[in-house]
Amino acid sequence: MAPIANIGHNAIHDCCGGLYLGRMSRHLLRYCVSGLAIVVGSGLAVAHHGTNVSYFQDQKIVLNGTVTEWAFVNPHPQLYFDAKNAQGQMEHWSAELLPTPLMMKNMSVGWTKKTIHPGDQIVLTCNPPRAAGAKACLAKELVVNGKSWPVVPGGIPTVTGGKQ
Amino acid sequence: MNRAALAGAFAAIVLSAQTKPDFDPRDLSGHWNRTSRYQTFSNVYSGQGPKDGTAEAPFTAAGKAKFDTNKPGYGPRAVPPAFGNDPMGTCDPLGIPRLLNTEVISPHQTMEIVQIPGRFIQFFEWHHDWREVFADGRALPKGDEVDATWNGTSVGHWDGNTFVVDSVGFDERTWLDKFGYPHSENMRLEERYRRIDKDTLELKMTLTDAEIYTRPWVSDTKIFKLDREKSKRWDEQIYCVPTEEYKFNQRVRDEAGGKSAGK
Repeated sequence: MAPIANIGHNAIHDCCGGLYLGRMSRHLLRYCVSGLAIVVGSGLAVAHHGTNVSYFQDQKIVLNGTVTEWAFVNPHPQLYFDAKNAQGQMEHWSAELLPTPLMMKNMSVGWTKKTIHPGDQIVLTCNPPRAAGAKACLAKELVVNGKSWPVVPGGIPTVTGGKQ
Repeated sequence: MNRAALAGAFAAIVLSAQTKPDFDPRDLSGHWNRTSRYQTFSNVYSGQGPKDGTAEAPFTAAGKAKFDTNKPGYGPRAVPPAFGNDPMGTCDPLGIPRLLNTEVISPHQTMEIVQIPGRFIQFFEWHHDWREVFADGRALPKGDEVDATWNGTSVGHWDGNTFVVDSVGFDERTWLDKFGYPHSENMRLEERYRRIDKDTLELKMTLTDAEIYTRPWVSDTKIFKLDREKSKRWDEQIYCVPTEEYKFNQRVRDEAGGKSAGK
């Protein structure tokens, strides 16, 4: 898997500012919003109640946003947030995380209904949706108000393994 | 008794103690986590890995047609949940045998067995479901004598140290597994549970459903391991809540799949 943790803000802005745009397919470009990067690598097949097929698991985007809602419910916690696109327009996004019981059992680092609050600033790395124009993604790495939280088995901040 | 006889008696006692199982093979109680790999009913290909099963389901024409109408989110026929019809996606009960085939695995892996006089009860962590097997000597009703239910109507008996569960009367809306394998209301299921050591439970199943499968279909051997720590932890309350699931579908799954009704 690509070392997403090594991608800094410059790379993110370079991605969306044009430095790497020539290497990216038009298909990938539509996900490149402000403060967003795309990384191509190998994904993990972790149980997602059939949802994995909805996302490009070999691609990643990075979104900077402001949380509007955190739903820590079964079968998957969901994060809703606003993020600006490349044109500076605010877009509303959603992200799903690993199965809730898995997060409770295997990543008992404090995941609760109160872990994230509206207004929190996030940097979310996620697999983009296969549907054109959709604003939903599959969370892979998450930083909330500057603190990294594990969203896949393996801990903080980068994951290299998992199982179904 | 001379010294040689005493030594022999002592050796016999020691040998007896060594060969006596350190568990009761007729005690199946406890929390069990499935560890065998196949999440299908049998070892059909499910796309879960390069060494995945290769057997073919013995479909009838009607069975294959029903299989084709089921749109799972997993395996080689996976479609985005936005366009699928997995009963799990709407929090419908998963039923037997799907609860055994698919869902008793991480992250909601636990099946607890409780044995009480005349009954054998299985609790499933997913959806907080449970299933009763009557083991009081009553006969299994004929399939048309009972209404179809999610988990079927079951009776059990001991065959040596194997607990045999026979069931009829299954609601045909359930799938055998998360890959969309179907059954009809006329399915008859035999489950054979055997505790093969103090930490291991084995399950083999045979389903008979002439409408869907051309012959009795035998499962692979499901292996469960005893989770001794589970009973010491707080219940995780893994319900599937329809109102929450509906919102999740509408706001995330449908959006990701290109069928969004808005967030």
